[in-house]
Amino acid sequence: MIFKWLDERLELRKFKEKFLSKTFPTHPTFLLGETALFSFVTLVATGIFLGFLYEPSTTMVSLFGAMVPAAYASVVKIDLLPMGMIIRRIHHWSAMIMIAAILAHLLRVYFTASYRKPREINWLVGLSLWGTAMIGAFTGYLLPYSQFSVTATSIAYYMAKSMPWIGDWMSRLLFAGDFPSDGTVPRFFFMHVMLIPAALIGLISLHMLILIKQKHTEPKSNKDRKEAQGGRRLIGIPIWPEQAVISLSFFLFLLFVVVLMAAYIPLNPIEMYGPPSPGTPVMRPDWYFLVVYGFLKLVPGDLVFTILGGKITPETIGGVIFPGLNFLAYALVPFIDRSKEPQPYMENPLHRPFMTSLGIGAIIFLCMMAVAGYIDVLHITPRAMTVYALVATAAAWSVSYALLRWYNGKRGNNAKA
Amino acid sequence: MVDGNSAKETGREGITRRRFTLGMLIASIAGAFGSLLALLKVLAPEKKGGGYATTIQPGDVLIYAKGGSAGSPITASSMNVGDAVLAYPTGKSSNPANLVQLIKLEEAAFKPPTDMSLTDKGFVAYSAICTHLGCTVSWMANRESPAASFTECFCHNSIFNPAEGAKVMGGPAPIPLAQIGVKVMQDGTLAFTSDFKGPIGPQV
Ligand code: HEM
Ligand code: FES
Repeated sequence: MIFKWLDERLELRKFKEKFLSKTFPTHPTFLLGETALFSFVTLVATGIFLGFLYEPSTTMVSLFGAMVPAAYASVVKIDLLPMGMIIRRIHHWSAMIMIAAILAHLLRVYFTASYRKPREINWLVGLSLWGTAMIGAFTGYLLPYSQFSVTATSIAYYMAKSMPWIGDWMSRLLFAGDFPSDGTVPRFFFMHVMLIPAALIGLISLHMLILIKQKHTEPKSNKDRKEAQGGRRLIGIPIWPEQAVISLSFFLFLLFVVVLMAAYIPLNPIEMYGPPSPGTPVMRPDWYFLVVYGFLKLVPGDLVFTILGGKITPETIGGVIFPGLNFLAYALVPFIDRSKEPQPYMENPLHRPFMTSLGIGAIIFLCMMAVAGYIDVLHITPRAMTVYALVATAAAWSVSYALLRWYNGKRGNNAKA
Repeated sequence: MVDGNSAKETGREGITRRRFTLGMLIASIAGAFGSLLALLKVLAPEKKGGGYATTIQPGDVLIYAKGGSAGSPITASSMNVGDAVLAYPTGKSSNPANLVQLIKLEEAAFKPPTDMSLTDKGFVAYSAICTHLGCTVSWMANRESPAASFTECFCHNSIFNPAEGAKVMGGPAPIPLAQIGVKVMQDGTLAFTSDFKGPIGPQV
């Protein structure tokens, strides 16, 4: 009945024929991107709940007899509500899962060479999604306004400020004045609940539209089947109902896992950190910022140079130049490993010694930078850690390259790099 | 008469109606966005004397910055060799730039470049704001040999030696913590005797 009523007005049947019966190739790794998408859905849902209760202000208010910033007080009150703390933890866990899933998804695309023509644009959109999600998590971090939040944000403020030429102005623009200032929390709140989610929704839509237009890469195994059929159509399952049911159950399963984690694993216990106060505890950022954090520990303090009147300090190198160069390198991948013809299939990473070993080297390098975040507990000097990191990276790269070459030689395969 | 013709007649082939419209469009977009740039100035408030501008005056009495006795004056007798506390000048604890670390060491332990004229009875004070990225430094007390105690910033593990003018012993901090003069008063409390001898806070 309702369907008929709507169909007469919106031509739902046409929509179903055109879009819902599109073919969706299957492969377990295709669920990584979906994990990221579903985590975002969870973030929006829990974020709306938090938004109703959170107070973006640093005015001092009384909480159980102590004077604390209103933002901090409001999050403590959220934690005291029935289910309040669970919702907050679901929000924070989903943020971590979303970023992990984006990374895993990017690695899948990298190792299967799915970034090649015609999908270069979507590779760039994917990278932007990663960066935007990180900014989203970073702006969310400050909101509870605990000792932990304020220290972390203060470090980032000085990193922004250390940029040559524009740093001073840029830091005041992003943090609404010199941090800590009364303007910072309202500005971060607006970015966190409006700008960043809007940007993410925009980028995700673009990502999906391009995907629909270009079609999904297919597993290589589809190739023979297709040739046998003599067809050029995608092999897979229709979006409606098969893929939709798979996706929905996957979403619900993911929700189950994250609720379970939120219920049992404490995360960001702001009551323990307390409101901002003098003194800085031993603290480490969430895992996805460990790479930058560890790198900062390794850059020697006297590594300063001046170019065109701009002072390049270790903080600029660690906080701006290093992440910037990383992103640039990833962005260039599809333009270095090019192909003339459009590529419909996923590659087997074992058949691509050069690109695969490069990827392994990069992963080891990033892991070593994260380990560098722990040199204080591991009792390693920054200099020794730098050497270990470089040696491990070079070893991982060269050994995996040699092994893959040997493997392909043995198979008698004309390994295409 | 058509534009194209007149353009040919005058020899100004470039300016057709289409190109003119396109030019107008680009110019107006550039103008509109250019004027919006002025907004960026509004969005980035000017410094309000903030940053790390200290307001410590000689004569200000040192008070505990945190803990149960936060706000009450620090007495010389309450500190042993190898102890350190975070301190503010009395009445000026709202300015983070005023935070110092007050340390008591063996008087014989001091080495240059410590400014001995700024120490008194083994008491020495340094800015507590790490010169790397602005975290507050902590005290790593060594009970067995107090002289081996040192100041560490937990954020990226910069290490400063308080007996040597807070020289950087390791980690990413670019310069020492600035020393500031302190002396023990008649009533047993401590007071500042100077301003910081050097820049404080992150050197960015
Ligand atoms: C429409 C979308 C969103 C809304 C309305 C929203 C809202 C909020 C609010 C009100 C808070 C402060 C309360 C609290 O700290 O618990 C918060 C914290 C946070 N948000 Fe979001 N958020 C959204 C999306 C995101 C996204 C996309 C990310 C990361 C990718 C993210 C990561 C965080 C983190 C890490 C915190 C700190 C949580 C904690 O205190 O442990 N949020 N968010
Ligand atoms: S802020 Fe002190 S070492 Fe980085």
